[in-house]
Amino acid sequence: MLQKFGLAAVVAALTGIGSSAGAVDCPVKLGAILPVSGPMGQVGERIAETGLFAVEQFNEAGGVLGCPVEYVLRDTQGQSAVGVDAAKSLVDLDGVQALIGAVSSGVSLPVLTSVAVPSKVVQVSCCSSSESFTTLAEEGKTEGYWFRTYATNRSQSAIGAKLTVDSGFRKTAVIYVNTDFGVGLAKRFERDIAKLGGSITSLVAYNESQQSYRAEVTKALEGNPDSLFLVAFPVDGATITREWLSLGGTDNLIVNNSLRSDDYFQAVGSQFLQNMQGYDSAQPRLPSVDSFNEMFEARFEGPPNGPGLHSVYDAVTVVLLAMEASGDITGDSIRDNIRLVTSPDGVEVYPGPEGIARAKELLAEGKTIRYVGATGALSFDGNGDVQAPKMTWKLDGDENVETGYMSTAEVAELIRMLDG
Amino acid sequence: MIGLVSYIVFFLILSLIFGVAVLGLNLQWGFTGLFNAGVAGFTAIGAYTMAILTGPARDAVFGGFELPFVVGLIGAMAASGMGAAIVGLATSSLRHEYLAVATFGIAVTIQLVCLNWEYLTGGTLGLIGIPNPSKAWADGPLAQNALYLLMVLVSVGLTFAALERIVKSPWGRMLKAIREDDVAAASLGKSPERVRLEAFVLGCMIMGLSGALYVSFIGYVSPWDFLPILTFQIWTMLIVGGSANNRGALLGALIVWGVWTMSGFIISRVVPSEIQAQGGAMQAVLIGLILVVTLLIRPRGLIGEELHVSRHAGP
Amino acid sequence: MILQHVADGILSGAVVALGAIGLSFTMKMLRFANFSHSELLTWGAYSALVFVAFFSSFGGFLDRTIGPFSFGASLLLAMPCACIATSMVALLLHRFVFERLSRMAGHMTMVFASFGVALTLRHLVVLIWGSDPIYYSRELQFAILLPGNVRVMPDQVFLLGLTVVVVIALHLFMSRSRAGISMRGVAENPDLARASGVNVDRIVTWVWVIGASGAAIGGVLYGMTVQLRPELGFSLILPLFAAAILGGTGSLYGAVLGGLIVGLSENLSVMVIPTTYKPAVPFLLILAILYFRPEGIFGERSR
Repeated sequence: MLQKFGLAAVVAALTGIGSSAGAVDCPVKLGAILPVSGPMGQVGERIAETGLFAVEQFNEAGGVLGCPVEYVLRDTQGQSAVGVDAAKSLVDLDGVQALIGAVSSGVSLPVLTSVAVPSKVVQVSCCSSSESFTTLAEEGKTEGYWFRTYATNRSQSAIGAKLTVDSGFRKTAVIYVNTDFGVGLAKRFERDIAKLGGSITSLVAYNESQQSYRAEVTKALEGNPDSLFLVAFPVDGATITREWLSLGGTDNLIVNNSLRSDDYFQAVGSQFLQNMQGYDSAQPRLPSVDSFNEMFEARFEGPPNGPGLHSVYDAVTVVLLAMEASGDITGDSIRDNIRLVTSPDGVEVYPGPEGIARAKELLAEGKTIRYVGATGALSFDGNGDVQAPKMTWKLDGDENVETGYMSTAEVAELIRMLDG
Repeated sequence: MIGLVSYIVFFLILSLIFGVAVLGLNLQWGFTGLFNAGVAGFTAIGAYTMAILTGPARDAVFGGFELPFVVGLIGAMAASGMGAAIVGLATSSLRHEYLAVATFGIAVTIQLVCLNWEYLTGGTLGLIGIPNPSKAWADGPLAQNALYLLMVLVSVGLTFAALERIVKSPWGRMLKAIREDDVAAASLGKSPERVRLEAFVLGCMIMGLSGALYVSFIGYVSPWDFLPILTFQIWTMLIVGGSANNRGALLGALIVWGVWTMSGFIISRVVPSEIQAQGGAMQAVLIGLILVVTLLIRPRGLIGEELHVSRHAGP
Repeated sequence: MILQHVADGILSGAVVALGAIGLSFTMKMLRFANFSHSELLTWGAYSALVFVAFFSSFGGFLDRTIGPFSFGASLLLAMPCACIATSMVALLLHRFVFERLSRMAGHMTMVFASFGVALTLRHLVVLIWGSDPIYYSRELQFAILLPGNVRVMPDQVFLLGLTVVVVIALHLFMSRSRAGISMRGVAENPDLARASGVNVDRIVTWVWVIGASGAAIGGVLYGMTVQLRPELGFSLILPLFAAAILGGTGSLYGAVLGGLIVGLSENLSVMVIPTTYKPAVPFLLILAILYFRPEGIFGERSR
């Protein structure tokens, strides 16, 4: 036993020397751990490309502290062990001080607890929705290194229920994906809709990547629902919607934010989705958001419709701004500066090379800034969670149009009413 | 330099944890000829047992007994062993592919139970905050990981030594006899059914140990950790390393996990950033090809079975 | 509702049956569990996409849809082409991987090589065609109402009809043609068949061609009624094995019956258990059947 402690002490001493780095070496590396292959590959690939796009824009504005930023992407294959190893290798071998990712909570959580927190590296996820992160943060186990630019489930179910009831639907079937995201959302939706005067005919969970969902759809059709609340991701969501409509289900669809995706509209056929409504985070009517959407369209020849695209852009930009603000690039200083670049009383700055250049000027002058990004004005609470304004949307022809808008304050009020 | 050391320590922890499961599988397949395609399921039982026994209490979830690490390990092995005894009795008449499909199905079922039985397993959220004992005894991530590596090494060493003794014992010779010829083995006066069941249970207990070590290290357990791909990885490690050889099993774990992770590292360095998003598919193609080519060049694995000649044979 | 579940079960069972025929034959006659077989469904479906584009480019009647169906003559022509293309993939794999391994090593090594082959094939699809889902036709079909309040889509009627035709054709091939009869001989007793002058290499080629063609047709039908995605075959691997084992390997009818049982049990199960446990149903069924009949329904008792 004595020998073990001896070794541990020597190793600890060595780490002490290693972590005293402070000066900035070019290029500055930013690690990304995303599922670009495997079942989430279709979603992950687009998120990964959008992350790279955010880095490119930052580099156009001169990079971080005069250094170009290098975006090092590693695939998680959707597996926790692979993701954890990739994150560790990014931290130890590439020396990254901040990680973007992962997508599913089942990968983000082990990365956080076994790599990011022990190595004192900031982790910002675009997409992980699990309530466990908030629990861990409340227990102090994230040590402040965890952030997510994805608004939590609570507001989603509230908006979904309100949208359903406001549209006059009283008997709603729910089909949801059997993950922490879907289960959390569906359970809260059930409670919320009862409070608002609607009712549920059936709650049907589905497992991802099954060959056919006819059984689930047939079950959800029981009780003649007048509407369907669908919580899914584009690929399986399209299969379910097609089978639902084919088997005679109503086209009064209410869908969650991840189905606001061209992949989904095209896969089902937008002519069949004219009575569909959905909600999504943010996009407040600010010049910042238009400029993001325009820049995205110019780069990718299509609008940024799809899960995680806006939020990964903001995750990357916020981290890089925090690096710029901190002067030295360490996990601790990034963590401490993230709130300084999203400060509610700071000078507003917007996405894109010009906005970033402006942000850098302001930071150089010693001012605090407020980054108002692709998902609007981010403000992280003590647990690293964000609240975002909400919007509702529908399809008009092939056009995705906004039908309603709720500010952060209104969302908070709705939640208070439902929980009260 | 420190980064490299730190990464290697981390890499060794993960690959040796896999190595423990490979040792368990080696006892079943390598020495006894049992085609267990449900490795992920028995690892999951161990992992969840560890989480329930040593983890913190949570509202509306069973467990959270906060018992010591070693109690967790023993409990995990016991639970996996019990699960294996039930499965072993139910499938005692099955051989080869039939046993494989049955055990595969059991692993899928176990994963679904982990996913859906919220009261026991936390459901889709999994169980968080599982303590890692090294964090209480050492400071700094590298020191903690080095300490945990020592604990894993002790576990691997004990398992390895025990298995080496076992396979050289009369019971171990019986295993090989059963693998080669059931009928002849039965004529030696031992019940092959019973010996096979014992080997199955023992192997699954070792897999449970592997799951428990993984959970304590990561601090979190979720159903997504036990998909069929895990079974595939463990089997690949055994076949590449060489079955019926415990040293080969461990070597296979190191090499296959190395290829699995290093291919991602290489692709992130070599592939230009515009097509990085396709890197994942390239990595998978590369892993697949390396596996096939390894098998074509060395079909019996890197270190195959050692051939023993009886002391009484020959001049 | 029960009739609807039965109809759904038969339809998803039909695709499983087409895939399971080839898997069942390779398990019996080539003596290994080929985990890459399901990828042949994927390759069949995607290669048909290429031929559909080729034939449609001629325009005219090739490009028009037929009757109530969502597809035109181009898909019908593409199907045999996809069978040929998929058979070539299978034969290449046999020639360069499985045949070599069967000479050098045990059948377990082949099983593991098939894992690697599956991984490679699946991700080559991603590299060539991308990971977005693809449809042969963007048209969404609406179900027709049958007696008993059962709804099916016209394409699904076609799916079932074609499956029946394929099974009858294979039955005739196995019972009438010389190659088919020798194939049954090899399945029953390879040593005896070899001794009595059967050209085993030729039979093995036939096994691959039949298996790959069945898989290709299954893949196209799946792509037609659901969608094409790189994990198409991978998500079917478990049902395929379940069907092959359930029926007893090497048996045409066993595989078909196995496929139907798997499809039916999955769909009917949701009436009594939560949908989240659905994927476990075929296995629990297998366990039950194997417990009482360890060699499958149509398998011979002694081996």
